[in-house]
Amino acid sequence: MLPKIWSLARLVLIDGLRRHALIGLILLAFGLEVGGLLFVDFIPRDIGRASADFILSVGWLTGFLFLLFHAVQTMAWDEERRTIHTILARPISRSQYVLGVFLGLAVLLLLLNAILAALGFGVLVSIKGSIKAVYFTHLSLPHYLLAWAGLFCIELMILAVILLFSGLVRGGFPVLLLTVSYYFICTGLPVVRDAFATRFGEAAGPLTTLLKGLTMVFPDFGRFDFKALVTRESAPAAIQHLTTDLLLLALYLTIALWLAAMVYQRRDLQ
Amino acid sequence: MIIFDNVWKRYAKELFRPAPPALQNVSFALERGHTLGLIGANGAGKSTSIRLLMDFIRPDQGTIRLFDRPAADLSLRNRVGYLPETASFPANLTVLDLIRFTGTTCGMTPQQQRERGEHLLNELGIWEARKKRLRTYSKGMQQRANFVLALLNDPVLLILDEPMSGLDPLGRGQIIDLIQRLKNQGKTILFCSHILGDVDRLVDRLLVLHKGQVLFNDQPGDLLAQFGVTNIEAAFLALIEQQSGECHVA
Repeated sequence: MLPKIWSLARLVLIDGLRRHALIGLILLAFGLEVGGLLFVDFIPRDIGRASADFILSVGWLTGFLFLLFHAVQTMAWDEERRTIHTILARPISRSQYVLGVFLGLAVLLLLLNAILAALGFGVLVSIKGSIKAVYFTHLSLPHYLLAWAGLFCIELMILAVILLFSGLVRGGFPVLLLTVSYYFICTGLPVVRDAFATRFGEAAGPLTTLLKGLTMVFPDFGRFDFKALVTRESAPAAIQHLTTDLLLLALYLTIALWLAAMVYQRRDLQ
Repeated sequence: MIIFDNVWKRYAKELFRPAPPALQNVSFALERGHTLGLIGANGAGKSTSIRLLMDFIRPDQGTIRLFDRPAADLSLRNRVGYLPETASFPANLTVLDLIRFTGTTCGMTPQQQRERGEHLLNELGIWEARKKRLRTYSKGMQQRANFVLALLNDPVLLILDEPMSGLDPLGRGQIIDLIQRLKNQGKTILFCSHILGDVDRLVDRLLVLHKGQVLFNDQPGDLLAQFGVTNIEAAFLALIEQQSGECHVA
């Protein structure tokens, strides 16, 4: 089973690596990261934190663009151009197809993040070396890598959901709209939950429970946001929940991919 | 080898508005070593039948069996070579990438993949272009690349959807020769085409579909004798005309 999944993942990977649009995306992100050097002078204080935020935000934006304009399109093109028929004419099941495409796109995302993380770290070291220590006191490589790993985890969850949506609806544009909506609900839900808790307290019991329950479908991406740690000297409590978060991530990915495989298993591939 | 038994298929056209059936009560069988030509006008149900055989879509009613197993059985794919109507590859891959994928999924060793791939690429005349991206191939080259992939695992059964589609006379001649060679090797072949002259030369049995229904399922000679004509094209037109006349009378 694994050689079949990997052989499909390899196709997705090679196809992605040869796409000029992805190379352009990396160059754009690199340009933005390097461009950050030019704006250091405009930041009045806490330059370290602002720079790390900027580098990781560029990384997140690039990953999100990759998901919306490559991952979504890869799935849509497979069906519109009937590439999926060429693939499934071989002894490969629809579940293996879902897992193979997920793995291929996940490896592409990992490469994208690794390249941008390396370039970004170089930019941060340059900034740190070019200003007084008081403006950029600490730069932690392990926490920097953890912050990128957090971004990667969020991207993996969105990728799994894209595969599920691609099975449920036809065409790239509806999947793109659903994915953007899903992302906004995921990021907005914790804010709404906090607002309810603050305003109504204990009185809003069932509603608070409902909002908490919705987190199972629309996960709180904030749990994987470790940007603030990059320039901090002490490790805060957030890291203590890392194991739980990773287990939840694994569970979420498993359920989303299982559902996607079920949907593909049952539907017609016209 | 193939059994299609009372198969019905209807595509959902729009929400709450069902489309007319793409296939209605279609039954046919194909025996080992035979070549079956599936012919019909556009929308007759040829491609639907092939997609059902390949388990890309599922029937609403009826059963489809290949090698005495349900069409959905994954282990069958090792013995089937499929040629889609239009070449549909991921744009940036080479034929070598797809040979590796096909070989791995069919359980071939890297050495088998290399040897068989080289043999087929040479036989079909695309060895020189093996490292070029498939999007740069002409239509004829893409069709030949598709043939390489369909034949890589030396399948017993070949399912060919419009194998001559979009080819120039030279390319068509090469593909007809290839199908003839495969037939002589004892392969079981099912192919659909609307180029009836090609069908005439290759098939042992003929299945004529019209608006999702089987109009004829027998040897080509019987169809010619039924209408007293000398070529399949004339017989096919006469059959369709007869059917349309019956519909008008009804």
